[in-house]
Parts: sequence; structure tokens; C-alpha cells
Amino acid sequence: MSASNAKTSNLIQVEYDDKIVRMFTMATIIWAAIAFLIGVFVAFQIAVWPLNFNTSWMTYGRLRPVHTNANIFAFAGNAIFAGIYHSSQRLLKTRMFSDFLGRVHFWGWQFVIVLAAITIPLGLTQGKEYAELEWPIDILVALVWVVFAINFFGTLLKRNEKHMYVSIWFYIATIITVAVLYIINAISLPVSFTKSYIVYAGIQDVLVQWWYGHNAVAFFLTTPFLGLMYYYLPKAINRPIFSYKLSILHFWSLIFIYIWAGPHHLLNTALPAWLQTLGVIFSVMLWAPSWGGTINGLLTIRGAWHLLRTEPIVKFFVAAITFYGMGTFEGPLLSVKSVNAIGHYTDWIIGHVHAGTLGWNGFLSFAMIYYIIPKMWKTELYSKKLANIHFWLGLLGILLYYLSMLAAGITQSLMWRAMDNNGNLVYPEFIETVIRIIPLFYFRAIGGLLFMVGFLLLFYNIYKTIKLSSHDLKDETVQISATPHTVSLSEHGHRRLEGMAATFTVLALIAILVGSVIEIAPTLSIKKYIKPENKVAAFTPLELEGRDIYIKEGCHNCHTQMIRPIHSEILRYGNASTIEESMYDRPSQWGSKRTGPDLARLGKKYPDLWHYMHMINPRSVIKESIMPGYPWLAKKKTDFFGLRKKISLLHKMGVPYAEKELTDADIIAEVQAYEIAESLKKQGVKEDIADKEIVALIAYLQALGQKGVQ
Amino acid sequence: MKQQAFAHFTDTYLAAIGFFLFFFVFLGILFWIQKKGSAKYFDYLSHLPIREEEQS
Repeated sequence: MSASNAKTSNLIQVEYDDKIVRMFTMATIIWAAIAFLIGVFVAFQIAVWPLNFNTSWMTYGRLRPVHTNANIFAFAGNAIFAGIYHSSQRLLKTRMFSDFLGRVHFWGWQFVIVLAAITIPLGLTQGKEYAELEWPIDILVALVWVVFAINFFGTLLKRNEKHMYVSIWFYIATIITVAVLYIINAISLPVSFTKSYIVYAGIQDVLVQWWYGHNAVAFFLTTPFLGLMYYYLPKAINRPIFSYKLSILHFWSLIFIYIWAGPHHLLNTALPAWLQTLGVIFSVMLWAPSWGGTINGLLTIRGAWHLLRTEPIVKFFVAAITFYGMGTFEGPLLSVKSVNAIGHYTDWIIGHVHAGTLGWNGFLSFAMIYYIIPKMWKTELYSKKLANIHFWLGLLGILLYYLSMLAAGITQSLMWRAMDNNGNLVYPEFIETVIRIIPLFYFRAIGGLLFMVGFLLLFYNIYKTIKLSSHDLKDETVQISATPHTVSLSEHGHRRLEGMAATFTVLALIAILVGSVIEIAPTLSIKKYIKPENKVAAFTPLELEGRDIYIKEGCHNCHTQMIRPIHSEILRYGNASTIEESMYDRPSQWGSKRTGPDLARLGKKYPDLWHYMHMINPRSVIKESIMPGYPWLAKKKTDFFGLRKKISLLHKMGVPYAEKELTDADIIAEVQAYEIAESLKKQGVKEDIADKEIVALIAYLQALGQKGVQ
Repeated sequence: MKQQAFAHFTDTYLAAIGFFLFFFVFLGILFWIQKKGSAKYFDYLSHLPIREEEQS
């Protein structure tokens, strides 16, 4: 067991599976084009409301989740897989464990994406951000992920290089953590094949949701990309990383701390104070490991900065790492409670996210694509000049995007809280604060457009590159000197950990479970946080149906239901929301963005007729509204009968429904719908709407904030 | 003041456990990466991606 053993190890031939890398790389490029296109489209929808076309599946509330899912799972997902399949084989000096599993993984994942692209515009959604997919697709995602995991860990086991490079660590952490996050967050009970209720309610749900949501950023958009950075950056400039020690410290601190940071999405809400404080502390702590990674990346280029002039790939790397550094600087800043009070629910957050996704994930993926494609097709990149133009267009696009959103967010937030000398709101009408930032929405859309035009240059460049290649593509065969697991390179024998994949995986799992258990476990006994005197009533069957329509139409993409205990907010919307008020909500609709006003206490604020007109055409009651119209709600029939199943399922999950509501849910709902429709008829609505979805939605909107003890 | 600050905390022991776990893990890693004789090893590892294999 000494170094001499390593030297005497055998020379063996390894043939890499390059086809799977080519497949994932092509999928990355194709899905990216679609994801960016939808992004630009939804950006214009906010600036120009007629672009919603009064058509259900074309409406922002349904398309925005398509955009986020497409970018996270289709674009970033495929990019991660391409990079992992390419770099792991080379770092572990072996072919992937199974070609077949690789293909199952590839086609399974693409199938999931296609299903997502079909179901989400149809309104089949669980109403949780970045976890919209309904339960059958969730199961499919989990299965495909397991296939990927088997293939990856199988490769680890048969590796010819005992020592696992730091990239491999990041891949391992990604695979196990994403599995844990995704499965726990998605546990739900089905009502039918296309509808389910999440098992968590109220604060449990928001906490699990943002534990998942934030760590989707951490373990889907950060750790795998760091792994890619640690491999492709040294490759591109032919230099080792600046400090290997720093990368170890970076890795463990990052995965340990990240998992705690979720509650910073819920600051100043009804979430218990201790959880908010933990969220703040760990978010601020994240500064250190994040910047450890940034510094490690940037200093790797020391002595090779001249490549910045000649190699567009290096430009992309440097910009990507810089955006990572800026994003992870801004993130903890936004997690400070007082800063968060300003930034939360505004476009600042949208800007922050896009600096990270466009700058860090986008640019790093582009660098990787520009690196992988010529290698995999055994040729040179068609045009460095085009890649250069791509870089500058992309950079300009991100800057336009970020700066316009930063300005929009801060402007609107200051308008929301502006008070005059008498303590009244200066802008009591929400729409005033929207109109002011509409020009910035245009700038944002143009920024996104520039980014996409840059990407189209990549598309063309790659197309030409592949055309240049010989088309006779064989898998790369290399001769490697194996250092099998049984051999320890270290003379001191204390380097065992990196050699022991299983032990390592368990330790990483423990690191992410510590924060998860400590934050989530206490809220599982929700009773502790509920004051008995604050009992709330459950929604009536019709209101529940309206709530499901609210979720289906994706209203939470623009409207929150969480009034924070901030003076201006209480003036505008009413008393701060309490934990009890959402205790039966599956899932919670606290939301994360206010493109429109908060709706937590909307009930009884306007007459039914106002809501009716507003839903059909928002501009008939609010002249300058940018909200899409929902005319189809007055045509589609309410599924009354399905309510029996829904109510009985929710009853089983602990929502206090009376015996009568269980047996006659549909009849009770029909009666309530009839009453609302009749009163609307008296006020001049001519259409017969008693059995239409719009009535259920109105019933729900009028019940918001009306269920608790006032 | 300390009492005021913690008045809204429940389950403080959980947060404390988390903190100490992290703190000692962090110290452990610091100690671990500084151990004698690791320079050569880290050098080997950091060159893993850029060591050229022989194409055949």
C-alpha cells in the first residue's frame, strides 16, 4: 500500500462513451433555445399584456413555470449531464458503468421535459415553484434520477483512478441531495391522475417548499456547475486549480451551510422567528464558501490572463465565475432581514436570479459547450469571432436585464412604502406603482432578447462546427495507467476518505441532512405554532374548487397571500397574515412575487360583479391593468362532482369538514354557486354562469382573509 | 438583552447542535487539509484533469 504500487500498476486501454456526451450536449443546445425563447416571450408579456392573447395556455401564469422548468431541468439539467458524463469518464479513467442506463437516463429525461412542456400550459400543476409537475411525472423524474445515480455510482465503483477529484465530490453531493430534496418536497396524495394535494399544509408546506426551492438553486444550479468549473476551467487553460485545499474547504462548508438557507425566502412573514433568524445567519455565512469558490476559480487563471484576449471560452469562464461571485454576494445581502423587506416580492429578486442563471449557469454552460463540441466531433470550432460576438451580446443582455430589474424592484418597493406626513400611503393604488416601472419591463425584455440573439450565434456556430467534422465519429480510446481502489497513493495512509466513495457519499448525505432535519422537524408538529384562540374555518367546497382554479391558472406567479408585519403593508392590505390563516392550505400560496397586489385579505373588498368583470377583462375596472384577461373561466364548467373526492381526501389529511360536506360536497357547492350567479344576474350579468369556473373562483377570492378570527 | 433576543426562539438546542456540528466539522477539515505530507498528494489530485492520457 504505498506509492510504489501505484507506479507499477497496469497500463490499460479505455474506450469512453462519447455518444452519450454528444446526445446530452445537443439536447442542452436545443432545449436552451426553447427555454430562452419562452423567457423572452413571457418578459414581453409583462410589458405588453395583449401578448397573453386571452388564451388559457398562452397566459403568463401558465407559461412562466414552463420558462423556469425549461431552464432549470431542460437546459441546465442536460448541460449538467453532458458535463458529468464527459468529465467523470475522464477523471475516473473508465467508460460509464452502463451504456444502456445512460440511454435510459437520456430518453427518460427528455420524455419528462416533453411531458412538462405539455402539462404545465394545460394547467396541470401542483402550484409549487420549480416543483409544478404533477405526481405521475414526479415519479418518473425520481425513477430517471435513480437510473442516473446507478449509472454514476456504478462508474465510481469500476473506476481506474482511486482518487476522486473535487469535481466528482460535487457531482456526488448533487445526485444525493437533489434526490432527497425532490422526493421529500413532492410527497402528495392523488385525487386523480392529474390532480393531487401535497401532504404538507401551511407553514410546513412553505418551509419544505423553500427548503427545496432554495436548494434547487444550491444543488441543481450551483454544486454541479462548480464541479464543471473545477474540471473545465483547468482543461481550457491547461493549468491546475489555484488551491486544492481551498476546494475541499469550499466543498464541505458549502454543502453543509447551503441546506439551511431556505427560510430566507420567508423573511418577515408568519414563519416562526427562530427559523427566520437561522435562515439569515446561514445565508450570511454562505458568503465565505461561495467566495472561496469564486476566488479559487479566478485565481486559477493567474498567469494566463492573456488568454482572455484570444480565447472566447476563457472570457465566458471569467464572466461566469464573476457573476457567481456577484450573485453570491448579493444573495446574502438580500437575506438580511431589513434589506429583504425592500427586495422581497419585487423585481430585484428576478434580477438577482437572472444574474445567476444567465451569467453563471448560462455562461459556464456556453464555455463548456464551446469546449466539448469540437472535442467530441474531432474538429475545431467554426468561428472564434462569432463566439466573441456571442459573449459581448450575452454580457450586454445580462447587464440590461439586471440593471433594469434592480431599478424596477427598488423603485416599486419604495413606492409601496412611501408615506406622507399624515402617515397615509402616497400611492394607495397598487397600479400606480406598476405603471411607473413598465418602461423597465421593456428594457428587461430587450436584455433577454440580446442574450438570446447571442445564443443563436452559438447555435449557428455549433451547427457549422459539426458540419465541418468528418461524421465518422468513434469513441475516444485512451491508454491510462490505472490506480485501482486497493492501492493508496498516499505514503502516510491518511488520505483514505477521497478513495472511499461510499463513506464519502454517506458523509455528504449527513452534512445535508443536519440542516434539513433541524429546520423542518420542529414544524412537523404544527400545533406548537397555532394558537387555539386563532382557529380558522376551512374553505367551503366551492371555494376549494375556486382555489384549485387559482392554482391551475398560476395566479401565485404574480400575487402573494402573505401580508408582512410592515407598517406600509398593513396600511395597504390589512392586518399581517398569521400562521393559522393558511394552516389548511395545500399547497400554501404565500407566493414570492408581487407583479400584482397581495390577495391575502382580498375577500369582501370588492363586490362579486367587480371580480366578474375583472376576470373577464381587467381593464374594464382598472384602466391601466397589465393583468391578462381570463374569459375562458366564464365558459368552462366547474367539476362539481370531483369535489366529493377532494373533500374526503382533505378530510383524511386533517381538514375539519363536517359529515354533510363529505357526503354532499357537490350539492353544497352547487347551491353556493347558484346563489352567487343569481346575485350577479340581478346586477346585469346576462350569461348563465352558475356552473362555470368563474363563480368558483369568485367564491374563493371573496373568502380570502375571511376564515379566521378577525 | 440576550434574553430578549432569544425570547422568540424555540428549540434553541437544535440550532446549537447544528452550529457546533458545523463548527467542529469546519475545524476538522481545516486540520485535515493542513496535515503534513499532503502537498504532494494535493498536487497529484489537482493535476488529474489536465494530465494527458495517451491516445491510441
